[in-house]
Amino acid sequence: MLIENIKTAFTQYKDQAEVSGFSALREQAYHEFEKLGLPTTKNEEWKYTNLKVLANTNFESTCLSSGNVKAFLQNALLNKITANKLVFVNGTFNAELSEIIEKDNSIYITNLAKARSLHAEIFNQHFGKYANIENNALNSLNTALLSDGAFVYVPTNKTVEFPIFIVNIADSSDVNVLNQPRNLIIVEKSASVHLIEMYYSLGSNSVFTNVVNEIYANENSHVEHYKIQQQEGESYHNNFTQIFQEANTNVNHVTLTLDGTLVRNNLHFYLNGQNCNSLLYGLYMPHGNCLVDNHTRVDHAQPNCNSNELYKGIMMDKSVAVFNGKIMVHLDAQKTNAYQRNQNILLSDEATVNTKPQLEIFADDVKCTHGATIGQLDEEPMFYLRSRGIPEDVARKMLLNAFADDIAEKIKIPELVKLLEEEIEKKL
Amino acid sequence: MSDTQEVDIIDQVVSQEYKYGFSTDIEMETAPMGLSEDIVRFISSKKNEPEWMLEWRLKAYRYWLTLEEPNWQNFDLKPINYQDIIYYAAPKEKIKLDSLDQVDPELLKTFEKLGISLSEQKRLSGVAVDAVFDSVSIATTFKDQLYEKGVIFCAISEALHEHPELVKKYIGSVVPYTDNYFSALNAAVFSDGSFVYIPKGVRCPMELSTYFRINAENTGQFERTLIIADDNSYVSYLEGCTAPMRDENQLHAAVVELIAMEKAEIKYSTVQNWYPGDKDGKGGIYNFVTKRGSCEGAHSKISWTQVETGSAITWKYPSCILKGDYSTGEFFSVAVTNNRQIADTGTKMIHIGKHTKSRIVSKGISAGKSHNSYRGLVKVNKRAENARNHTQCDSMLIGDRSGAHTFPYIEINNKTAQVEHEASTSKIGEDQIFYCNQRGIGTEEAVGLIVNGFCKEVLNQLPMEFAVEAQKLLAVSLEGSVG
Repeated sequence: MLIENIKTAFTQYKDQAEVSGFSALREQAYHEFEKLGLPTTKNEEWKYTNLKVLANTNFESTCLSSGNVKAFLQNALLNKITANKLVFVNGTFNAELSEIIEKDNSIYITNLAKARSLHAEIFNQHFGKYANIENNALNSLNTALLSDGAFVYVPTNKTVEFPIFIVNIADSSDVNVLNQPRNLIIVEKSASVHLIEMYYSLGSNSVFTNVVNEIYANENSHVEHYKIQQQEGESYHNNFTQIFQEANTNVNHVTLTLDGTLVRNNLHFYLNGQNCNSLLYGLYMPHGNCLVDNHTRVDHAQPNCNSNELYKGIMMDKSVAVFNGKIMVHLDAQKTNAYQRNQNILLSDEATVNTKPQLEIFADDVKCTHGATIGQLDEEPMFYLRSRGIPEDVARKMLLNAFADDIAEKIKIPELVKLLEEEIEKKL
Repeated sequence: MSDTQEVDIIDQVVSQEYKYGFSTDIEMETAPMGLSEDIVRFISSKKNEPEWMLEWRLKAYRYWLTLEEPNWQNFDLKPINYQDIIYYAAPKEKIKLDSLDQVDPELLKTFEKLGISLSEQKRLSGVAVDAVFDSVSIATTFKDQLYEKGVIFCAISEALHEHPELVKKYIGSVVPYTDNYFSALNAAVFSDGSFVYIPKGVRCPMELSTYFRINAENTGQFERTLIIADDNSYVSYLEGCTAPMRDENQLHAAVVELIAMEKAEIKYSTVQNWYPGDKDGKGGIYNFVTKRGSCEGAHSKISWTQVETGSAITWKYPSCILKGDYSTGEFFSVAVTNNRQIADTGTKMIHIGKHTKSRIVSKGISAGKSHNSYRGLVKVNKRAENARNHTQCDSMLIGDRSGAHTFPYIEINNKTAQVEHEASTSKIGEDQIFYCNQRGIGTEEAVGLIVNGFCKEVLNQLPMEFAVEAQKLLAVSLEGSVG
């Protein structure tokens, strides 16, 4: 059914669109999707994550929002911090809720649809160049049907003073919605930017959000990128982020998965120059019957780069966590340092963890380690706290907070750290 | 160390000859080339097998026909033409042998050359050997002495006649023919192999050993080993193998099944040195083996130790099914690849019983243009309370054209499980070499020391006789290869 919905959506789109280079790309992407279909568990990359439930649901891909988004956002993090705000509701740019406070006119913070005509040259130079559609059904789907998303261009030597907040709200008050947000971020030489990507949902029907992000970091630039998934209820979320780093760049990424029925994060780094630093941090706390799947891949294509990855999970109820971290050290990428760790705490008998830390190394002068642990809360620290008169549930929270703190301390926005702490409090 | 020196040393290693590459000129009886139901029947009738065995083989063969060659491995495999293989080859020797005197002297010489003594006078070595030449078990030593203790150690074809009830009960119980492509093929055409039964409460008085040799051209070797350790028993089993140098790739698809009853312990050690092919990757053995042990009873233990230095492609995952409560599975592996060799190996630890423990130590060393992959699964089932696993897989890279890969799968369904996985990849540090040089130890020797130290945890697990052989093998395969 999803497949038919997509087909209708694409035909509708084709009827409306004028012929341009862009629509040719969409056509190509659609054919790729048609050829591949939704990934099944036979596909090694989707071994533990089954999308069958999606295939049997009807989704609307263009629909208006009837919920009161403004009221919904009143108490959200968005309104607590000073930031540039880009708000999208069901894939459509919402100018009323968005706000750009950046004063420098050479920095473009806008929506993709607008950028396509206003900044066509930059757009055409970068769009679709990093996120591959070949053999990737969901990327193809996004490219074929994408509606809108954020467009950020930071020119050489510029720094965006305040963080850029990209908020996506899926409003399923009336029907099941299918959203295809697409963000394109270009950070030129020696520039710097701080991005926060946030996902919310409204309404009681199903939501399927299929995101593609392309982030290009030119030489000597610095990017902070946080991705927070807070879509509640029947929400299915697939995120593909491709970060392309040129020489001497620093990219710090944090993924927080706080909610969602099925969340799949694909985070890909490609280190295309020497002396790059890439940091990947993630925290997931699935509960109920939720499934969180983090697939990361770091391609060390050039020598002398560092990457460090730490993903932590607290598993409750009947939740399932999947982690697949792949480090590829290409031929001649000597002096690579790549570290990777995945740690899980199981709080329930029925939770499941499937983890696969994977290394593929084609160069000899490298230092690569990976590790994975799965266990319960340590008894000894628990005993220590209990023996000092701290009740069990308080002690448990303290220990779990400490466990999550390794990730929380990487976040440079105090308000966000606070939100995370509240979430942990709420969940336990 | 300068680059040129480094290149020199690597060249030396690359040019290292395979010393078991001779072939024996002996009269052979072979089946016609190719695979069909007739061939399966031919093999079965050659062995005078009971009807049920033939039925089982045919079922396996028909099942195999429905399968496709697997393609998930981390290397390119040219499609194998299964009609180009001779599935049965045996030295022409029809009379049943009573003593070693009747064995073809040419054959005895071959084994002498390989450093395996079949003559029972050499009791000092204290190892009972079952020698398998191409498809047929040639001789089993120390048989009588073992029989006194109640230990059955013989060729599986013999066991089929003498202990049909045991074979019928256990064959295919751990590795059913439906398990995978190569296990189905093996079940259909297996020619011989070893059979071991250790009765209740018996500690096998000596190491048991099988020596496999592929000699004939164009043949495949498909042996099957079945080891059953009854309650409270212990056995240590060794396996070694070599093959002549030939330009074609030869297929070796064996199946090993281990069954450990209550409080029994099986230790299975392999030193695999099949012909690895020449330096351009021409020829060599495809070593596609299914090895699996089942800890049936409580407190049982199965331990796999392997030293893999040979074969063009090694593709195997010796596994443990931990069914009994408090059972233990262990896997110790050293895989060394050189030139264009490929190793895709690892283990599966399936925790089913409560309080089960497993330990995995895997050391991969890749040199030249070779690729070494560790692929493993640790699975803790829902009811496997308090399962414990520790996995360590380290890789060492020698030369900048080699590759090391790890694919560890960890699937945990129980919160009381404690699972740890660590892995690292490194090369021999210049400072380590410098340290040795400084103390008057030459670079070559230093490399040997460091590699041996790197593998020590695994080599320590080998029985004495094999530890020495394995250390020598490592030295030969890697002599001074690092700078």
